[in-house]
Amino acid sequence: MTDREPDAQAAAAPGKYLTFTLGDESYGITVAVVRAIIKLCPITPVAGMPPYVKGVINLRGKVIPVVDLRTRFGLPPRGDDERTLVIVTALPTPTGATRLHGVIVDRVDELATFTAADIEPTPDFGGAIDIRFIQGMAKSGDRVTALVDLESIAASEMAAPHAEPAPPA
Amino acid sequence: MTKPDDSPAFAAQAGELIGKIGLELAFVTPGQAASAAVLDDLFAELLVLLPATAPAALVDGVTAAAERLASVAGGGQRPSAATIALLGDWLPWCEEAIASWGAGRTITSWAPPAADAGAAVPAEPVAARPPVPPALSPPPPVAPPPPAPAAPPLAALPDLPEMAVDVVPSDADPDLLPLFCAEAEDLLREIEQGVLVLETDPTDGAQLAALFRAFHTFKGNAGVMKLGVIQQLTHELESLLDGARRGQLVLGREAIGVILAGADVLERFVAELGAQAAGSRPRGALSLPVPAVIEGARLAMLAAPSPPPAVAAAAVAPPANPVTPRADVATAAPAAPPPAGLPPAPAQAPEPERSAPSAAAGTVVPDPVPAAAPGRAASRAAGGAIVRVDTHKLDSLIDLVGELVIAQSMVVQHPDMVASGDSDLSRAVGQLRGITSDLRRTAMALRMVPIRATFQKMARLVRDLAVQQGKEIQLVLEGEDTELDRTVVDDLSDPLVHMIRNSADHGIEPPEERARAGKQRCGTITLQAFHKGGYIVIRIADDGRGLSPERIRRKAEERGIVSSTAVLDRREILELIFAPGFSTAETVTDLSGRGVGMDVVRRTIAGLRGKIEIDSTVGSGTTFTLSVPLTLAIIEGLLVGVAGERYVIPTLSVRESFRLHPGMVSTVHGRGEMVMVHGRLMPLLRLRNRLGTAAESTASRAAGADDGVVVVVEAGADARCLLVDELIGKQEVVIKDLGEIFRDRTDFAGAAILGNGRVGLILDVAALVQLRGRQGEAAA
Repeated sequence: MTDREPDAQAAAAPGKYLTFTLGDESYGITVAVVRAIIKLCPITPVAGMPPYVKGVINLRGKVIPVVDLRTRFGLPPRGDDERTLVIVTALPTPTGATRLHGVIVDRVDELATFTAADIEPTPDFGGAIDIRFIQGMAKSGDRVTALVDLESIAASEMAAPHAEPAPPA
Repeated sequence: MTKPDDSPAFAAQAGELIGKIGLELAFVTPGQAASAAVLDDLFAELLVLLPATAPAALVDGVTAAAERLASVAGGGQRPSAATIALLGDWLPWCEEAIASWGAGRTITSWAPPAADAGAAVPAEPVAARPPVPPALSPPPPVAPPPPAPAAPPLAALPDLPEMAVDVVPSDADPDLLPLFCAEAEDLLREIEQGVLVLETDPTDGAQLAALFRAFHTFKGNAGVMKLGVIQQLTHELESLLDGARRGQLVLGREAIGVILAGADVLERFVAELGAQAAGSRPRGALSLPVPAVIEGARLAMLAAPSPPPAVAAAAVAPPANPVTPRADVATAAPAAPPPAGLPPAPAQAPEPERSAPSAAAGTVVPDPVPAAAPGRAASRAAGGAIVRVDTHKLDSLIDLVGELVIAQSMVVQHPDMVASGDSDLSRAVGQLRGITSDLRRTAMALRMVPIRATFQKMARLVRDLAVQQGKEIQLVLEGEDTELDRTVVDDLSDPLVHMIRNSADHGIEPPEERARAGKQRCGTITLQAFHKGGYIVIRIADDGRGLSPERIRRKAEERGIVSSTAVLDRREILELIFAPGFSTAETVTDLSGRGVGMDVVRRTIAGLRGKIEIDSTVGSGTTFTLSVPLTLAIIEGLLVGVAGERYVIPTLSVRESFRLHPGMVSTVHGRGEMVMVHGRLMPLLRLRNRLGTAAESTASRAAGADDGVVVVVEAGADARCLLVDELIGKQEVVIKDLGEIFRDRTDFAGAAILGNGRVGLILDVAALVQLRGRQGEAAA
């Protein structure tokens, strides 16, 4: 861990996690932030955003941004299918309110309870994988689930310099 | 001590009464008969309540206090400070006694102090003395002395235009503060409107009564919040109005001015209180011209044409506000104070009990309140019942209704539904559609408020400006009941103030100049509001000197806003007054004319997605026309297709649209693509390039670019051509915030749920028009 010490300290807390799959890997987010799981619906693209921000959707009258975690984590792209879902999360904003975000995942697996003993700090992958957003690794049986810190992802989206629309060739 | 069953029931009822007594005591003023009568009633009720089984000590205590008070009130006399202090002691004893009875404890008996004898009429020292003429005044006492039966040697009133007022009472109930503020704001609005009516007809009985009630209620609320100074201020103003509503005096221009000044003080106080209570401002004292207003109110009572006022001692509850009548005003007061040393006891008003507990007693006021008690709990004139609702709840209701409308249209337009030949079903669907659209209209109406309050504020402004500048100006209001979204109302206030100031300041000429020009001496400003489409149109017209295009042009050139070679038509020249740094004022006044006005106005209006237009004829006046969407929540949009997506362009920003024909686009070297519109070259922005993916934009260029529809949009004085693939139609859309992560995407003003349930992005025309330098080239 290099300059991300604070995140490393804020290791994932034991509790209930919603686990999901991206590619072959298992990930989890704390259920505290999960508001709904919906089928993938038509996304309106917003020009000039980073590629992992897919755009906005209409969630029962509310306009919420949708982030593709697969792209965010640098995994190879994959076509959407009928198992592709959007996890709707409510994340706190700097102003103290909460804001809804949609997260596109390949498949939602289960609600898992991880004890403190199950959770280990994120190992140093030697820079091969972006581990900034991983709070810890949870073991259950022979499976390892990476616990994702959505808040720091959301924060990084705010901070990310947004590309101007690509000038035409 | 017995503990009879009567105790709990009595305790509950008595507790309520005692609360009322405490409340009245809190704002009772020595020397006022009316307050005594109210207290007397309350004591009478308390005595009736006392059950036969009540312990003797309790009965005796209540009886003693009631008798003490009755000796005063019964004779139409005024309670002295001593009596009030006595009752102040009695109150906690009584509460304790009732509690003791309930708990079966012994009740300590209460006996009025020996000074009780003083309740009998003449024993209390007569402390009122006439004020010493200001010029001869010795220095004032530094601090108000504590209430004492005898007033200190009188004297003395320092000229204190302002005083520091503690804003948030230390023991304030934090839950009550917001309620107090909200109520106070309502009352202030009532007061201001009432006063302006009175100005035209000072004898309007209904308005006088309404104003009196408003101040009385304010006083009561201030008493509950233990805001002593505010309570006193409202009391003085209430007294002034009370005199007027009883026909004892007529409110002149000065008196109206005093009441308005008082309302201003209250408004500032309430605003500060609100801010401090909410924590947005640090707690502390606020400097307010309370003494000046109180003094003004008293002088107004003296100066007002009225039956000869009985000169009575003004015994002012602490804190003392020693004030000196300003010499110029004081001389205007017809009631010349009697020479110092003479006991001021006019024969026609026997006032046996009076005292002056504080140093402030020097100011002489006629007591306008006759012995008969006015209705004590003057309640506010209630129209329909009003429910205060959190705006967030309102917003979420409107969101839900919006969803319902979309869901409804999805059902109605569903192919199975359309194909169904069932007439019952189609009738039911029709009914659903009707109810849904009614519901939507009703929900939107919840946010709508009439523009009346804002207009009334302008009435006040014009009045003040006219007085200050020695002009005669009448303001004509039309369409005050026109409704618009509450948030829009709030944002419109400042621009309107600016424009009204401009009209009064620069537009309307002084009476002599108007007379020379053959106009009526009194200038007219007309403020008019009406609905047009989805917009509220506000027109501000004055019949003043008008704007001279030559002068505007000259000034703009002097200020480097426009070059001397630029070719501008009349409208464009007039629009120069909206340019930053422009001011047509010959002289800079303290009210307007610093050259920061109109550009700010236009920016604010643009922020509301509205626009402002100007028309002016030299010699006969200027008219500003504002068009602002009725609500920030809904706009009428032009739906356009770009690269397979639908976007919304606010209709108000659209000047025109036409199909692009080959050859219309010319490339100006280094300045990108231009389109000739009505003989003028305007920059062209291809939205497909801006909003589509790189691949799409490349494809569109390859396919021969001169295809599509040009939408000419304008923002402020700038215009630009947007090239879209197709026009789809017009639609009213509910504007949604796009959210934090898109805050840097300035191309979009928000998002909307379209009829097909998908999200459409709303283009920010102002931002796209401003792109010129940066992105214009990229799009070329």
